[in-house]
Amino acid sequence: MTATSAPARPVPALRAHVMPPLSFARLLGIEVRRSPMPLILPLVAALFWFDSYRPSTSQAPFYPLVTFWNMGQGHTIIDFGPFVAGMAAWIGSRDGRRGTADLVTATACPRWVAQLAAWAAAAIWAVAAYLVFVGVMFAVYAQRGVQGEPPWWWVAVGATAVAAFSAGGFTVGVLVPNRFAAPLAAFAGFLVLIMSSQTGFRDTSGWALVLPTNSNGNFQLDSGIFYPYLPDLPIARIVFLAGLAIAALGLAGLPAAAGERRVRIVAAIVAAAGVAVAGTGAGLASSAKLGPHGMVISALHDAASDRPIVYTPVCGGSAFRVCLNPAYRIYLADVIAALTPVAGEVAGLPGAPVRAVQAGAAYTAGEGGSGQAMTITGRPAVLSVTLGGYGFLPGPTGFSSQPTTMTTFYQSMWALFFNAFTGAGSTVGTPVQQAVTAVLLAGAGVPFGQQPGLLAQVANGPSPGPSTAKDPVYTAARRFAALAASARQAWLTEHLAAIRADRLTLEQLP
Amino acid sequence: MTAAGIHESPPAPAPASPAFAVAGARLVWLYLVSRRVPAAAGLLAALGGVLWAALHWHWNIAGGAAAQLVIPLVIETGAAGVVAVSSHGPFGEAERATGRWLPWLRLGTAVALTAAAFGALAAGGTGGYLPGGSLSLLRNLGGMTGTGLLSAAVLGGAFGWVGPMGYLVLIEGGLAGGWSTPWLWPGRPPGDLGGALCASAVFAAGVIALTLLGSQGARRPPASE
Repeated sequence: MTATSAPARPVPALRAHVMPPLSFARLLGIEVRRSPMPLILPLVAALFWFDSYRPSTSQAPFYPLVTFWNMGQGHTIIDFGPFVAGMAAWIGSRDGRRGTADLVTATACPRWVAQLAAWAAAAIWAVAAYLVFVGVMFAVYAQRGVQGEPPWWWVAVGATAVAAFSAGGFTVGVLVPNRFAAPLAAFAGFLVLIMSSQTGFRDTSGWALVLPTNSNGNFQLDSGIFYPYLPDLPIARIVFLAGLAIAALGLAGLPAAAGERRVRIVAAIVAAAGVAVAGTGAGLASSAKLGPHGMVISALHDAASDRPIVYTPVCGGSAFRVCLNPAYRIYLADVIAALTPVAGEVAGLPGAPVRAVQAGAAYTAGEGGSGQAMTITGRPAVLSVTLGGYGFLPGPTGFSSQPTTMTTFYQSMWALFFNAFTGAGSTVGTPVQQAVTAVLLAGAGVPFGQQPGLLAQVANGPSPGPSTAKDPVYTAARRFAALAASARQAWLTEHLAAIRADRLTLEQLP
Repeated sequence: MTAAGIHESPPAPAPASPAFAVAGARLVWLYLVSRRVPAAAGLLAALGGVLWAALHWHWNIAGGAAAQLVIPLVIETGAAGVVAVSSHGPFGEAERATGRWLPWLRLGTAVALTAAAFGALAAGGTGGYLPGGSLSLLRNLGGMTGTGLLSAAVLGGAFGWVGPMGYLVLIEGGLAGGWSTPWLWPGRPPGDLGGALCASAVFAAGVIALTLLGSQGARRPPASE
């Protein structure tokens, strides 16, 4: 018997089934060791520190605020995505650039499968780096005493986005195997993210909510402090991004060099499935409705996410008692100092609050405002205060080049307090309500001339200009303010109910 | 006849002979093809088209003046990346042994491609209002190309795109933070001397580094495309 006549040894059935995954795992191990993706990570780390972490250090120490820029507006993705896409394109174009495509096509492993191993290695490096960088950032936050819960779901979105960018870049490299694949993929990645931000700044509902850099209506205020982050929208985004990644990888298997016809049919099915999954994610996002604690997608919503976070309030103040969520403990003295004088100014009048409690800020369709309305309810009356709005907590703020002064904080609180007391609430109020608010603000120490600017700032509106305190409201307010304090007190006692019910005109103001 | 029997050197060919000019043109052409300059020119023209579309159809970012700069800057970054990546040499050290014209070819190609990028983007700038105008475009593009050429000299031509892209992230974060240093020249007014000097210095540094050193890939053994 010679070697040529010897029958081939049959492959054991078990080995035939186990070998492909094992060989893929071995190939993946080689690719992980040899992947050039780690070369870009030091630069990404530097940019991550500069662009994602550094701006967050100027925020008030609450997770929704410190992570608003880097997670809510997706800057961690901006710092990773284009670079990962560029490097993945470089990896994907390897065989084409080196002219080894024919050589590797002749190996036992289908080319597409081998390419998937190269992509997987790149994605493992990129996603692992993303998780490590974000983990370190959150660890630093925890050490700084940042309050609330980290937005873990947004971390998952970011990791999926990084994987999707690596898949997209890799496919660009496979389809355009030359030196320009990497810059084109990086450029396209950055342009896509910028356009996503542009759409995100504008659109507060619909399919655009699925964009990972859209912060509207989904990341703000008191999430993780008074109520959990709603996972609905992040899940839709993960579905969308995973679909894009799958579709891109399927596209990479379509060229003739990817393998035999059967392999390419599978790749086409994968690409179509990816498109379907991405479309599902976009469809889920477009069905989102604004709830009190975030965007609700009924198909994904878990009622358990609506349960408020239980806490024991911290209280202080003797003349006027104020109770806050313990996360806001550092502002307790400031809030007491702000509210005690104005509560004393209206003490004894009908509906004057006897104490204040903090409430969770309500979500808005946009990115939040300067301050949310206070409300006064119950008997004895209790003032409900929201502090989770952006822009007027005292101290440095990343949303302004100047720190918020104590004066600005006090006056903003006073304006919100008197708006609640006169019944204006979150509206501009009736002319009489405006005039009475103006008199009470003047009594607290805010001159009439400064009030239009203050009220515009509290409402997050445009500056009213220098001479707007001369309209009929302020004429009536000055007239009312000229009365003796006891006369004003007596008139207010008699007419406050009518003022709140909008039954008075400016002419009826004494 | 042996070489020992020759008493006179052959006369040197006239430098301006047609054969020399043809050989020089062929050398330049081969160099340009090896750097994929024709493809780069096509990509720059395409980026000019993208800028035209962005300005014509108002792909503006919502926000203040700094935000209006972002999309033109992204496109300028892409152009700078293309110019930088064109410096990648596929032949490695072997090419360096072939003659003394290589630094001049590198210099000429980098400057010519930068000029071509400016021309393409300036043409694209006619699509609508370009913040800062052509002067600002020239400054921003020149400076960012300088970052690309520097990174090509340090990291390799294939990774020349990393410099402009990294700088773009710095600009984005810096402008959002209200920084006004001239080293973030895109945030400065078009006629600002400090910004122009910084951008020019970076461009000059990039061109000099590339001319003298070449891209890092060219200092290695023959490499991939």
